[in-house]
Parts: sequence; structure tokens; C-alpha cells
Amino acid sequence: MRYRVTHVTTYAYGEVVDLAAHLLHLSPRALPGQVVLAAALTAKPAPVRMNTGMDHFGNDVTWMFIETPHDTFRVTLDAEVEAEFAPPPPANATMPWERVAAIAAHAGGEGWRAAEFACGSAMAPEDDAAGAYASDSFPAGRPILAALLDLQGRIKRDFAFRTGVTTVSTPIAQVLASRAGVCQDFAHVMIAGLRRLGLPARYVSGYVRTRPRPGQKRRQGADQSHAWVGAWLGPEHGWVDLDPTNDIIVAEEHVVLGWGRDYADVSPLRGVLLGGGAHALSVSVDLDPMQEEFAT
Amino acid sequence: MTPDSALSSHARLPPFWDEMVDGRGGIRPHWRPIVGMLAGLPQGGLAERARRLDRAFEEEGVVTILPADPGQGPAQRPWRCDPVPMVLSAAEFATLDAGLSQRATLLSEVLADLYGPQRLLAAGLIPPSLVFANPGFLRPCRAPTPPVRPMIHLIAADLVRTPRGEWQVLADRTGAPNGVGFARENRRMVTRVMPEAFRAVQVRQLRPFFDHWVDSLQRAAPAGAENPRLALLTPGAAHETWFEHVFLSRELGCALVEGADLTARDGQVFLKTLKGLQRVHVLLRRVEGRLVDPLELASDSALGVPGLLDAVRSGGVRVVNDPASHLAEAPALATFLPRLAEHLLGEPLRLPNVPTLWLGDPAAAAAVLAAPERWMIRHALDGMAPAQHPAEMAEAAREALMARIRAAPQRYAATEAVQPSAAPGLGARGTLDKGLAPRPLVLRLFALADGAGQWQAMPGGLARLIEDGDRLTGRLPKTGVAKDVWVLSEDRTDIVGPAAFALPPLAIRRVSGELPSRVADDLYWLGRYVERLENAARLIRAVIARLSRGWLLPRDLAELRALARCLAEAGLVEAELAAAQPDGPALPRALIELCRPNRPIARLLDNVNRLTRGVRDRLTSDMWATITHLAAEAREKSAKACEGLEELNEAAGAIIRFSAGVAGIAAENMVRGGGWLFLDLGRRIERASHTARDLGFALDQPLPRVEAGLRLAIELCDSAITYRNRYLSVLQPAPVLDLVLADPTNPRSVAYQLEAVASRLAEVQGMAEGDLARAAGGLRAEAEAMVEAVARAAEPAAEAVRLPVRLAALASQVGSLSDAIARRYFSHVQTSQAVGVGEEQAQG
Repeated sequence: MRYRVTHVTTYAYGEVVDLAAHLLHLSPRALPGQVVLAAALTAKPAPVRMNTGMDHFGNDVTWMFIETPHDTFRVTLDAEVEAEFAPPPPANATMPWERVAAIAAHAGGEGWRAAEFACGSAMAPEDDAAGAYASDSFPAGRPILAALLDLQGRIKRDFAFRTGVTTVSTPIAQVLASRAGVCQDFAHVMIAGLRRLGLPARYVSGYVRTRPRPGQKRRQGADQSHAWVGAWLGPEHGWVDLDPTNDIIVAEEHVVLGWGRDYADVSPLRGVLLGGGAHALSVSVDLDPMQEEFAT
Repeated sequence: MTPDSALSSHARLPPFWDEMVDGRGGIRPHWRPIVGMLAGLPQGGLAERARRLDRAFEEEGVVTILPADPGQGPAQRPWRCDPVPMVLSAAEFATLDAGLSQRATLLSEVLADLYGPQRLLAAGLIPPSLVFANPGFLRPCRAPTPPVRPMIHLIAADLVRTPRGEWQVLADRTGAPNGVGFARENRRMVTRVMPEAFRAVQVRQLRPFFDHWVDSLQRAAPAGAENPRLALLTPGAAHETWFEHVFLSRELGCALVEGADLTARDGQVFLKTLKGLQRVHVLLRRVEGRLVDPLELASDSALGVPGLLDAVRSGGVRVVNDPASHLAEAPALATFLPRLAEHLLGEPLRLPNVPTLWLGDPAAAAAVLAAPERWMIRHALDGMAPAQHPAEMAEAAREALMARIRAAPQRYAATEAVQPSAAPGLGARGTLDKGLAPRPLVLRLFALADGAGQWQAMPGGLARLIEDGDRLTGRLPKTGVAKDVWVLSEDRTDIVGPAAFALPPLAIRRVSGELPSRVADDLYWLGRYVERLENAARLIRAVIARLSRGWLLPRDLAELRALARCLAEAGLVEAELAAAQPDGPALPRALIELCRPNRPIARLLDNVNRLTRGVRDRLTSDMWATITHLAAEAREKSAKACEGLEELNEAAGAIIRFSAGVAGIAAENMVRGGGWLFLDLGRRIERASHTARDLGFALDQPLPRVEAGLRLAIELCDSAITYRNRYLSVLQPAPVLDLVLADPTNPRSVAYQLEAVASRLAEVQGMAEGDLARAAGGLRAEAEAMVEAVARAAEPAAEAVRLPVRLAALASQVGSLSDAIARRYFSHVQTSQAVGVGEEQAQG
């Protein structure tokens, strides 16, 4: 499926910002299964210096340095992406989950790269409570993908999707207690639980296609940044992306920006300002499926 | 006890290696000259030297700053160094040198791989979790462009000698090792206090090491930097090794800067100075690596420079050691070093570690859990975390620790609980006369990358004794008496510095354009606070003088009322007191409260103390000693001031002496450049403002009492003698006001202050007619105009009592001028804020 992505982030500052430095994880990542046909980041005011590069995880990064005094900062991503991710193997054909954990823990084995994502991180630690919750889906010997699908199904059923009850920095313990949150919270809960079991899991940042109610038009800018979970199935099958918010395997309704250990590694836009005072943030995201006739 | 009898007690050998005495009771050859020299000291001579050393460090203000207790400021502990050095023979040091150089090469290679291709992880030579779970693994530093090699510029190793006599490494310091500066200070002081020792033996000098260091810092500069500017990046005056940063910046000729003094622009780094931005080429980093760039690393760090990593990657600045180099300090890495040495260097590890196991290996965990008392348990990744000793823990605590290990063994490392060697040393302060005893020690050695692939070890080091009741932990003890480390020399050839690094000739400069804005800010406020203290002391003395007269005349009461208003306006007493009956008990009671902790005087003294520490690198040792000595006296007296008015009076006297001392030492010792300009500017602004304000209160009298007001005005300006010399005892408004307001030769008059302010500002701005200098000149004209108005008036007294409104306005205009100065010169000091890290929630 081919999409046009428009992601506009606007900061309005209470006082003039004299100097600003920004770090953006806001370019779709080229992947097997995802072709980036075009991607452009523009900012206002225009940066005096703008660099692009790649981070430790292989994500595209952009640095912007602004020396023009300003009270509003706006960054716009315009991209065209074609996404169609290969389906995972049959669940019952995957390794027993304990085996995957053992490979990830074994120094020098094939799992050394995946091992990074089995280590706890600040927002997705190897949490006991999350581990206890996850372990109900992981009886001894169960093929890992079967267990993962069971877990994400439970998260979808057990947790209420509710905006405003959590913030970016809400710890997972609170999400587990209240059983409510948004996609970022569900991803962190699932990742933390998997890590507690010794399984590599990563945080994927991107977008998901939303469908308007029947008979209604999609509202412009109403889409959101989305987040889901990458889970490691072992050396043979590698990574699979799972979306616990929607209880689906990522196939052709998602666009990937990048991944990391948790949100903090791939937060779309961060910065350090001189001045600025209080600030207000507004975000608008559109993920438009492009007309069939334009797709190839 | 004489040194002789102390030495004989060495003969009873406990189960540790004795540095000085061999197993048969003989003195080891390399110690003999020192022991002979010690034996030649008179009775009590060594203890006397120790006391002199203590005093010498105290006078220099050498302290380590200990972490603050909750609710209190950071505590200071005086630096102490034992007069008896730790001695290493030439041959032994050569072995250590070779071992340290090999470790430096090895750890640099390990870091280059972990921040590059990570082949060591793929090959299974290092367990992934030692890297990936380590907060010291700074992912933003692992970029497609690999870091400049070697990532280690200065390395340190903490060593202990086992009972078998083998030196083993307890910890590697690859991030920002400290102690070099303290080692240099130890040597400087011990040389002063024990001159005969250096005649007894040939000791290798430390100076050439520092020459090499300067040289290698200059070589580290990015290509094309002709006259590379070096800066030492410090976390600031509250940091535990701040004093070392001050010494090092001097020794190495670096600017001493904090993160807020720097700015990254277009891939380069600049120092924010009064004269604009000055490029910096090399940063000697003393801020923890993860705190150096709030944009990419810890976003809540106020110690870093946003954009620094971008500038490093684009080659605009070199940071040493590399911000990411702390990673190699993980204690568990020790387990894997022998294999890594074979793999990367093709040779065995020369300087081994104290046997260390990583408990993520099930066999290692089982062995340690089976016999925990043989080990000390350390954090696998955090080299700074204190070690725990199961052998000394209560049953319950040990079981709890074992349970934590079983639950997450990969988080722990175990290092054999080795008994360190002991060298002769004196004890705590009160026990110096008990003489020498063998005391366990840890040795820190240093080596420097010379920029050509080789390492240069410092022929010396820093040893610290483990204090009575303390245990060996995973690192150099943080407290404990230090020892100078003497490396004996067999010939004199090494006393040669490096070949001079060719630099273009320097242009002659007479102004310090490079004064960082923050330092100017600190000096300005130091000047203001010192003056504010002095004025408070003068007001206090004036009040006490009247209160102690017993029977108060109406004139005295009028003066007291004016003084109470001055005190209230200065924020020293509550405003209601100014309105109260001045001869009642309230005023003396409030005065006595003034010096208590957290009250105005104590707070001003604290601020002065903080600012003085912050500008330590701008003061010579003599200035520092004088200022701290007088400040200590003022503190001591003011701590007693709550006991009564007499004590308070003495405190006021001490404060005035302190203030005069600061003024004198600044006038006689500081170059009239940037630093002094701002110190004096602060002082003049403060004095102009409070003199105008206080004169207003003094003159705010009913017409019949104008004489009392004039008398008080003269007293507040300390001008009674001058007035009497000029006019005898006739008190008239115009002559009095001329002396205190307009006389340009009276250093207490308002005009004198404003004249000085105008001239300092003209110098700072580099032009006679800058806007700020003009504003100061305008204020001075207003002070003169007031005197003129009184002199011309038909009724001078009536005109004089009308002045308070104009004087109050003048004081507030001086305040506005101060704000303008701050906006012009200190606005750089503004701190930055982080946004975005987690503001846009992924809400899909």
C-alpha cells in the first residue's frame, strides 16, 4: 500500500528563543517491505545548520540548529512510502520461547545483536509486574510467535485505550495498575514483560492507517503518531512487528519511522533552547492512502 | 615514639606485603635512603612536618568536596598528605609503566571496537549485556563516522599489591580520571616541607609529564588550528575535585570553563566572552561523558553544551577523553581482558587484574555463592559504586545480597578480597605523635596518549591510605590520607621535557578579552556582596554605638530611627522595626538574630564563599589565602554574634576588616583587566546605590533635626575626620553634602563611585563614550546637581530635607544601570531548557 505522510509539529513559545538545537527521528526508514519514495523535512525558521545521519540503531536522524530569534518553531515531514511487510511464519513453526531467550543470552551466539533489546531500558525496564503479566502467555515450550500473539491479544482485551490518562513519562507500573493508556504505554508494557522473560523486544515508532466511520470522511490531521512492538523470533525468522493496540501483525497498514529500546531512543523531535519560557506543542498527522491509479 | 621505634614495630609481619620491610626484618634497598633520612629527624620532627603539610594545604584551600547531606551545602574535607612518600624503585616502575601502557592500548582498542564494528561482541569475547545494559554505553557516540582514536587520552589504574608482592589492577579509569592534579600538589607541598628527603634520593620529576600533556593537548586540536585554544570543562565549584580542576587549568594553560560558558555554533565550539565568541579547539573533559550534550545525551544535564557531539563528529572540536570512554570502566570487563589482550594485541596481559569474575557466567556465580566471604561484590557495570564485603556483613544482610545475586547475577562482579600492601604512614590528626605504622594503601598511576600511538606514564602517582575501620573497595579511597609517590631514578636522563611544539608568536595583549561572561558575572556579584556585607557591618556598628550610650537624647533617637530604616531597606531587619520605637528591645533583638544561619549576614557570607570558590582560578595563592583567612575570621566572629551586642560589634569589625582586605588585595594584586574591572564595578555600583539610599534616610528629618541627619550622613560615609579637618565642628548642609555626594576625591562619596563606574564601563566597552558609561556620568551629574541646589538655596537646610526623594530616585537609577550591565554582559549566562524528549506522545 502506498501512503502520503504529512506530520506537522509546532512549538509556540512564551518568550523568544535565541538559539535552538533540535534532534529529529522523523524520516521513514527504508526497510525490506518499506520503500521510501520521497521524504522531505522542512523547518521554519530555517536552520542555519542541518545535518542528516544515522543513529546506532540504523535510523535516519536529522539535526537542526537555529540561530534566528523565533517564538514559533514548525517542522513538517512530507513523505511518500510504500509499505508491505512479509507475513511471519506460521506461529507453530517458530521456536519454543525459552530457546529464543537462551540464544539471546548466550554470549557470542547468533543472538548478539538482538541481545541489546533483551536488556531493560529506562522506559521499558525488565519489570517484575510486567513479566508476571506476560508470563501467562508463555507456558513452557510454547512456540514464541504463538505466545506473542496470545500476549498482544490479552493486552488489547485487558487494557482500555484512553487518551489523557497517561503522559509520555508515565511509568509502566502505573499503566499496569490502571489498565489504561495509549499505544506507547501498551508497547512499553509488552516490551518490559518480554524483557523480563529474557526475550528481545524493541519499540517501533511510526504511523498506522485509520479508517473513518462508514459514511464519514477522514478528518485532516486527525491521525496520530503510533507505536508498536518488534519481537525477535530467533535467528531463523528474525523480527516480527506486532501492534498490541490493535491486536494485529504489522503488514500493510503501518509506516515505520524507526526503532529503539524505548520511546526515548526514537522520540520524533527533541531539542534544547536558549530562552523560550513556557511552550505549547501541537501536532497534526495525516496518513493518506494514495489513489490506486497512482500506485504501481 | 621516634621513627626508629616505629620502624622496629614493622618487624612483626601481619599477612600483607610490607612495602618498606622485607620478610626478614630488613629494610628494602629502595627505602633505605628515606628511612635513613627519617631517622635523622629530631624527636617529634616528623609529626611537625605533618602538621606543616596540613597547614600548607589548608592555606592553599586544597579540599575535596564531599557530597552534600540532605538539606545542607556540600561539606569540605581538607586535603591531607602524609610526609612519608610511597617509594617505587626504577625497575619496578618500569614494569608498571609497560603494563599500564599495554592496558591503555588494549582498552582503547576495545572502546574503538565497541563504538565501531562491535566484532568483539560478534566473536563472543565480551558478553553483550556488559555493553548494551551499561548506562555508560552512549549510543549517540556510535555513529557511522567512528570516534577519533584513541578515545582514551589520559588513563588511570588503581592498583593494590598482593601479599605475594604482585601489583594487580583493581579498577581502570578511562572516562575522566582525576587525581593527577592532587598528585602534583602533593609533590609541590612535600618538596617544600621535606627538602632533605629530595637530597637523600634521586626522585623523578613530574614537570616533564605536564609538559608532555600540554604538548599532546595541542596536538589533539583539529587540523588547521594554528594557535589551538584549550579549555578544561568542569562541572563547577561544587564538584568534589574542583580544586584539581583549578590546578590543572593553570598547570596546562587551559581556560577553566563550565558548560554554560560554551556554545556550539555551526559545528564548532566557542567560549562566550565579554568580547564575543572565541573558538575553542580542545576540551579537556572533567564532566561525566553522559552529561556533555543535553541535545543527544542526558537531556536534564545543565553541565553540558547542546550540540557538542555534532561539533565533535564534524571535527570542529576534540574532546578528551572521548565522552563515551567511561564504558571501559565496567568492573566485570576485567574478567575478559586476558583473552582480549591475546585476541587484539597477540600478547598476554602484562599487568593482571585482581581476580575478578562476572556472575552472569553460571559457573562463576555458583563459585561465589558457595564461598562469598572470599570475595567483594561489585556492580558489574558501575565502576564508581562501592563494593560490598560479604565476609563482614551480618547474616541477614549477606543473605539478602546473595538473594539479589541469584535473582540477577549478570548485574554483579566479584573481585577477590585481597589484603593490600602497607607502607609506613602517620595516622589521623590527633595521633600524629604516635609515629609511623604500616598502613594499607591503593596506588593510582596515570598514563597519557602522546598522539603518536605511544603512552607516557606519569613517573609518580597518587596513593591513598585506607583509613582505620575502612575496607578496600573497588577503587581508590575517596577519603583517607594521600601519599606522594616517588619513582626513583637511576640516571638523570629523564629530566628532559618534550621538544617544544612550534607555535606562531603571540600578539601582545593588554586586555583580557577572553574573560568568560560567567566569571565576569561571578566577580561582579562578589564585589557587590562584599560591599553589601561591609555596609551592613557599618550600619550595625552605628546602631550599637547609640544603643550603648544608655540614655538616648532626642537626636540619638532620630538617628536610630533613620538607621533602622536603612537596615530595613537593606533587608537586614523587618520593615515594621523601622516604624517601631527605636529605643525599645525589638531593635537589639533583631540585630542579634542577624548572624544566625540562613539569616542575611550568614547568607551573604555563604554567597561570598561560593563566589570566591568559583573564581578561584582568577586569584593568586596569596590573594586566596588572605581572602579565605579574613573570611574565616568574619565567619567565626559572626557565629558568636548571637551571644550579645558586644560579640556582634566584634563580628562587624571582622567583616569590615574582611572587606578592606579584599579591596586591598584586589588593588595591589589584580591586573587592571577584565576580572578586576568587574569586581570593582560590582563594588562601586553597590556602594553608590546604598550610599544614595542611606543618605536619603539620614536626611529625611523634620527641619529642626537636620543637624542630626547631617551628622549621621558623615558617619555613614566614614568621613567625620575629613569633615573636621576641612570645616572644624561647624555642621552645615552644603559642605556636608558636598563631601558625601559630590566630592570626587572622597572614596565614600556617591560621585566618586559613579565616576569609577563610568571609567570601568568605558574600559570594558573599550571606548570612552559608550552608552553605559554615559549613563553613569549622567547619574554623577545628578549627585552634583543636588549639592548645587542646596548650596544655592536661600534656606539650605530646608532644601537639604527635600533631597530624600531625589536620593531615592538616584538609588533606583543605579539599580537600573546595574540591570543594563547584566543584560549587556551576563545574558550569556542564561541557562538552556530541554524540550521534546517525550512531549509528543505516540497516541495512536
